[in-house]
Amino acid sequence: MLLHICTALQDNSFVAWLNGTAWTAATLEIIHYFSMFILVGSMVIVNLRVLGFALRRQDAAQLADRLFPWIWISIALNFLSGFCMFAGSATAYYRNDIFYDKLGVIVLAIAANIILQQNMRKWNLLPAMPAWAKLIALLSIGFWIGAIIAGVEVPALTGVG
Amino acid sequence: MHGSLISFGHWLQNRPFALAIAGSEWAYPLVQATHFTGLSLWVGTSVAVDLSLLGAGKKSSPPLQLSDALFLWNWLGFVIAVTGGFLLFSISAETYLTNIAFLTKLGLLIPVGLVLHLVIQRKAPGWERAEQTHVVAKVSGLAELLLWLGVATAAVLIPYVG
Repeated sequence: MLLHICTALQDNSFVAWLNGTAWTAATLEIIHYFSMFILVGSMVIVNLRVLGFALRRQDAAQLADRLFPWIWISIALNFLSGFCMFAGSATAYYRNDIFYDKLGVIVLAIAANIILQQNMRKWNLLPAMPAWAKLIALLSIGFWIGAIIAGVEVPALTGVG
Repeated sequence: MHGSLISFGHWLQNRPFALAIAGSEWAYPLVQATHFTGLSLWVGTSVAVDLSLLGAGKKSSPPLQLSDALFLWNWLGFVIAVTGGFLLFSISAETYLTNIAFLTKLGLLIPVGLVLHLVIQRKAPGWERAEQTHVVAKVSGLAELLLWLGVATAAVLIPYVG
C-alpha cells in the first residue's frame, strides 16, 4: 500500500518537474538547509537556557515564547521541502533503513520540543529548572544533532538523495 | 596567482588527513554533520539577533542583550562550522577552487557577511540606546539574514555549476 503511494508520488508530473528542474531542485535544498539551521540553532538556544549554560538572565518562558513560533515555522518549511524531495525518489527512500532512522529521530526531537514548550511556563515559576527539564533539553540537543547526522548518512551510506 | 591556488588545492587534497576522510565511509558524513551543526549554532544565534533588530520579537530581549548573551555560542558555532568546512574543502580542494559558486561563497559572501556581523555586534549597544531600533538597525538585520541565506544558496549551487 505504502509502496503504491510512493510509486504514485514519484510518477506525479509536478513532483518530477520539481525534482528534475535545476532551479526548483536547488530551491528545495536551500529551503531545507536554511530552515534546518534556524530550527536547530533556535532549539539549541532554548535548550542552553533550560540547561543554564546561556541567557541565564533572560526569562525562560519569554525566550521560548519568542523563539518557538520561528521553530515551528522552520519545522513546517523543513517538512514541506523535505517531503517534495522525498517524493521525487519515494520508492528509493521507502527501501532505505537509514531514512527511517532519520524520521524516527525527528519524531523524538519534535516530541521533546512539545514537552519543552508545554512545560516552560511552569518550570519558569520554580526557583530552579528541574532535573528532568534539563534532561529533556539535553536529549533535545542530541535528537536534533542526531537528525542532522542521520540526514547526511542517507546519501553517504546509501547514495539516495 | 590562479595557478598557485590550484597547485595548493592539489597539494591539500593529497594530504594524508584529507585522503583518509575521503576514503572513509563514516568520516565524510561526520565532517558534513559537524559543518551543519556548527552552521545551525552560528545561523540560529545570528538570526535571533537579526530578527530582534527587525523588531520581530518586540516584547522581550532587546538586540544588545541577546547579542551579548549569545556571543560565546555564536562564535563557537562559527569555529565548529569553519572546522567542518575546512575539512570538507580539503577533500576536494582543487575542484572547489575552480568552482564559481564556491569562490563566490568563500571569497565574497562570507567575508561581507562576517564584516556585517561584526558591525552589528559592535553597533548593537548604540542602537539599543535609541528609543526604537532605527532604520539602519533594521536594514542591517535584514541584510545579514539575506547574506547568510545567500551563502547557503551558493553552497547548494556548488554541484550544479561545477
